[in-house]
Amino acid sequence: MKLLRLAWNYLKIGVASELQYRVNFFIQLFHSFVAVATGLIGLALVFNYTSELGGWSRPELLAVMGIYILIGGVINSAIQPNMNRLLREIQDGTLDFALIKPVDGQVLVSVREFRFWSLTDVIAGLAVLGVAVAQLQTRVGLWQALGFLAALLLGGIMIYCFWLILTSVAFWVINIDTMVDLFQGLYAAGRWPISIYPGWLRIGLTFLVPLAFAVTVPAEALTGRLTVLTLVGAAGLAVLLMALARLVWRMGMRKYSGASA
Amino acid sequence: MKRLIDFYLTAMKFAVQKSFQYRLQSFFYLFTMFAEPVIYLVVWSTIAKQQGGSVGGYTVGGFAAYYITWTLLRNMNVARSPGDWEWRIQHGSMSAELLRPIHPIHNDVTDFAGWKLVMILMWLPIAALLALIFKPTLHPTWFQILIFFFAAWGAYLIRTVLMSLLGMITFWTTRVGAIYDLYFALELVLSGRLVPMPLMPTWVQHLANFLPFQWTFYFPINALTGSPTPAELVTGLGIQLLWFLGGLGLVNLVWHYGIRRFSSVGN
Amino acid sequence: MSSPSSVIAVSGLSKYFKVPTREAGLKAAGKSLFRRTYRTVKAVDGITFSIEPGEIVGFLGPNGAGKTTTLKMLSGLLYPTTGSARVLGFEPSRRQAAFLEQITLLMGNRSQLAWDLPALDSFELQRSIYSIPRSQLTQTRDEFIELLDLKDLVKKPVRNLSLGERMKVEIVGALLHRPKVLFLDEPTIGLDVTMQRRIREFVAEYNLRYGATVLLTSHYMADVEALCQRVIVIHNGKLIFDGGLADLIDRFSAYKTIRVTFNNTLCNWGQYGEVLNQDGAHVVLRVPKADTSQRTARILSEQQVDDLTVEDPPIEDVIEKVFSQQDVSEGTGGAA
Repeated sequence: MKLLRLAWNYLKIGVASELQYRVNFFIQLFHSFVAVATGLIGLALVFNYTSELGGWSRPELLAVMGIYILIGGVINSAIQPNMNRLLREIQDGTLDFALIKPVDGQVLVSVREFRFWSLTDVIAGLAVLGVAVAQLQTRVGLWQALGFLAALLLGGIMIYCFWLILTSVAFWVINIDTMVDLFQGLYAAGRWPISIYPGWLRIGLTFLVPLAFAVTVPAEALTGRLTVLTLVGAAGLAVLLMALARLVWRMGMRKYSGASA
Repeated sequence: MKRLIDFYLTAMKFAVQKSFQYRLQSFFYLFTMFAEPVIYLVVWSTIAKQQGGSVGGYTVGGFAAYYITWTLLRNMNVARSPGDWEWRIQHGSMSAELLRPIHPIHNDVTDFAGWKLVMILMWLPIAALLALIFKPTLHPTWFQILIFFFAAWGAYLIRTVLMSLLGMITFWTTRVGAIYDLYFALELVLSGRLVPMPLMPTWVQHLANFLPFQWTFYFPINALTGSPTPAELVTGLGIQLLWFLGGLGLVNLVWHYGIRRFSSVGN
Repeated sequence: MSSPSSVIAVSGLSKYFKVPTREAGLKAAGKSLFRRTYRTVKAVDGITFSIEPGEIVGFLGPNGAGKTTTLKMLSGLLYPTTGSARVLGFEPSRRQAAFLEQITLLMGNRSQLAWDLPALDSFELQRSIYSIPRSQLTQTRDEFIELLDLKDLVKKPVRNLSLGERMKVEIVGALLHRPKVLFLDEPTIGLDVTMQRRIREFVAEYNLRYGATVLLTSHYMADVEALCQRVIVIHNGKLIFDGGLADLIDRFSAYKTIRVTFNNTLCNWGQYGEVLNQDGAHVVLRVPKADTSQRTARILSEQQVDDLTVEDPPIEDVIEKVFSQQDVSEGTGGAA
């Protein structure tokens, strides 16, 4: 498909330009290292006083942290740079350049940026996850692994849709910089399984900000907690969010073109 | 001296006016800021409940008191980030500040001080809401409240000099991201920002006694929520003062050399 | 030559920058991580001049000539590499408060006022920064508001003002403390013609009332012509001319322009000089300066002329010629 090839081309350009700054690799690596270390210290502190939290054992909590860092890496490398650029261009009125290209606008603004070096977070997350899985009581079978990958994919899609909708608000309310920051702050809640949060917060973190589906649900898959119902529900919600994101995007584009006469 | 006082009063009023224009964004910023301690609070409350009501000497109510006070203190100790320093050194606004006959650091202090006053007004309703949900146990004496007020400003001043020192590294090199990462990680763990210091391993608590970090978070928060003796409170203020003065001296020194360097390279 | 009364005295002032060189390409980028090569850029190279109190001096030169660098050295933002500069008896790089209180540096596209507040609030802050006595502040402020016809603009948030209005309030803010020396870097850039004139008139009026010394850079010749009796031309970091505007034209321009309005449409005007433009009953000729009176006399006697004027060429052309001459002379190593 033409769109896939487009995304691939942007990826190649992004990687090539970042490879020029090899020092950035070491900086990013250090950054990931510090993030992992801090997370581990937090976990160690908790482990000092208890062997399980909200029904999740120590290796299971470690797995949650691993997924949290991994998804964080995906967001930082593929989603956030694009959304930041989109926000800027909506505010400056320079989105025109992207919109006159003969490619679907939404796809273009979603794939043109890629922070290659942020992938160190993905690697760090995978490393932590690997250690966690090795320590798990129950073995991770094929079904769990597949469920995990599916949940991960759905979670990623939902985060993307959420962020696109959030950024698209800028079409109407120009100054939403701090709303975007809010998401960054809320993401930190994904470090722990959302079952520990009080009811109202849990609902917010599931349906308002699909954090639960990004981190906890894949973790549930890995630790044998995932039910088919939840997975189907996740798929349904993902489809819903994709449709909603598309709708909001189209409405935003109409507003944008009408506004900048 | 009188001129400086006049500047501080005028500039703080100016900063309040500016911040008032941004009240909507400030409100959202507050929510983001609250997310961090609420997460810590939920985690530790859960552990406390699992362990039969308290952990490390803190009850659920005690954690609630600690972390809600945390949010007030956090508003107070926010200072100009080293990233901000980096930006303005590289983008020319440092030059504009250097043309004024008043040292730029005075502008930083008053700018953030004025902003805080507006933020605290907006903090009140959110804190009240949190108190309703998490039910903190809080019974400070009047002396504690008094000390807390001064300790909060002390925390602000200490963090200002620390952030400035970090930011001024940009005078010499732009590859400073890693240093900032390291600093904030250390601060998180050694200041009482992550958890109250008594929950850290003993060797960490010993280490923290030799560093300025815990005087920017744990000491002020504990002054209000814990039960320190009056002697401990006053000594604490004294140690804050020492850290601030020491840091200030260092800032002056680094600034002197940093400006020499900036003025030979320029922007 | 500088006298004890000179406001600005510059001698052998130079500013060299070390700039890392790097070629394009992936391999070169990798190599540059390990071994940095530098070259020295001479932004300002040994300039000397002095300015007396009350003068308005224009600083001319192509982009990158060293004008802004010189202004930054004179305001204390940059340390000179060699040479000396003294402004109001101070060494600018020492940035003493007493010095900073008497100068102002205005850059055309940089804003010093708070974006979301009315200018009046920012003026109040300026008062406390520069220790302006309140009575003086009110007087100066109202005086400027009237001169620039600002009325209620100072009460509106700065972000709601148009570009021209913003520039006006910026200037007021920059001059509230009645500085004795003004460094103006492209003050009229991006403004429409009316606004440019307004700003020019204000600067001239300020100079008249307060006897301030003004050093002004601009790409708009209209600014220079209107305000500056004296110009300093900088090119490639070197000072190549320092004197009156009329002298500049005299020295560097070898031509004059003759405009004729006539009756006889059958004449071949090429015989009198180079035809720059011919249109119906008008023609514009370029003639060598030395021959001007002779050619004019010939035209007047041989043709039926309705109107005839002799003009200096536009200053832009002169300046351009100055720069290209310099390039040529440097390139050919002085071969005449």
